[in-house]
Amino acid sequence: MSRWLIMGLGLLLEFLLLGRGLQVRLIRRYYFFYVYVASVIFFTAVMMLVNWTAPSLYERWYWPLQLGTLITGYGILLEILNHVLAPYPGAERFARFSGLGAFGAILSFALLAPLVVPHWSRGSIEFERDLRSVQAVFICGLLAVIFYYGIGMGRNMKGMIMGYGLYILTSLVSLAVRSYAGTRFDQIWQVIQPLSFNVSLVIWLLALWSYCPNPTPDHMIPLEEDYGALVARTKGVMGAIRTYIGKAERA
Amino acid sequence: MISLIFFLSVGLLLFSSLFLLARRNTRPEGSSSALVEARQALRTLQAGLLPLELVNRVFAEQDWEYVRSETPRSIHELFLDERKGLALLWLRQVRIQIRSLQRFHRGAARHYARLNPRTEVELALSFAALMGACRALQFLVFVAGPYAAPRMVGVVANAANRACKISEQSLGFLDKARLGALGHASDAAML
Repeated sequence: MSRWLIMGLGLLLEFLLLGRGLQVRLIRRYYFFYVYVASVIFFTAVMMLVNWTAPSLYERWYWPLQLGTLITGYGILLEILNHVLAPYPGAERFARFSGLGAFGAILSFALLAPLVVPHWSRGSIEFERDLRSVQAVFICGLLAVIFYYGIGMGRNMKGMIMGYGLYILTSLVSLAVRSYAGTRFDQIWQVIQPLSFNVSLVIWLLALWSYCPNPTPDHMIPLEEDYGALVARTKGVMGAIRTYIGKAERA
Repeated sequence: MISLIFFLSVGLLLFSSLFLLARRNTRPEGSSSALVEARQALRTLQAGLLPLELVNRVFAEQDWEYVRSETPRSIHELFLDERKGLALLWLRQVRIQIRSLQRFHRGAARHYARLNPRTEVELALSFAALMGACRALQFLVFVAGPYAAPRMVGVVANAANRACKISEQSLGFLDKARLGALGHASDAAML
């Protein structure tokens, strides 16, 4: 019962988020994010309806609909790439490269692990866990690039990442524990999952209450040389410092 | 159990990243004011802290020999402590130069569409190795004292001076006129 109360509250928050997005016209700016929110509203409404009218069908309907929201969830990652990294083509290229690397690594792990590790289960819960871990690693890679290149973020994008990241984190941990502990973890899992999503919805509601653009460097430095020249110069300076430090160590 | 540990580790990595994000300042690095600050810091170092003659005078071994022969033991310790502090300060300045260069490189590289991720990873590792070497030297001075390796201070002084000169070349595109414009722009942004 508590699960449905939490989901009902979540549905209310989702409508509020979508309504506010329409009111302040954030839908135009963060199109993929609001598509995700709409898909979650559809999922929640259908699942609540199924549970009331034909509870026996709940299990059968859950996975295809959840897979749909999982796919639209990747839209949030695209949104982050587009809005945070677009003004920095170099950092964006690095993020795409590391994102693809993370995706390939996790996919290889998910495909190879069942062949190598004995008793590796391959149900829908495990599949969802693997997909969530791809998203988790992608977010980590993206944040690593953002931190390394010192890229600033506005309240909208920071909230979007925090909300989605927290939800992915809770989902990943609870799915991993559910996969290990089995059905005895179901009762806790069924409450934790929607509850953590409600926390994310509150974060999104606060972060996306109004438009807050990402800060940009206050003055663009003209780039008069190409990337190769920049790297060569940096390497030259580093080589010189290294030589002197090497001499100091030997002295 | 292996899978549980693996996925919990991924979760821990995500949690750490989100924690850092929550604590992070939203202001972007590499703004013009930061570049102007880097340029001014470089000038202060070159003009006030790093001239080789001054360093040679401060770290002259004759001073230590004089103090050792003419003063009581309690003064020896005080003298060595002070000289050690100076050597450590020197190494800190080298580290500042490396960090400044890295910040400048990142600030510029992120704008290049043709950025090579592999080169960037290599550079990041090289910067980390250099910082590690500096830390190791600092440890050596801290443990063995400023006169444990007599030539070291002079060599470090050269390294710091050289680093300053090359960093100056790195920031060379900020000529006086442009620097002034950037300074005004950052002042206006602050207001």
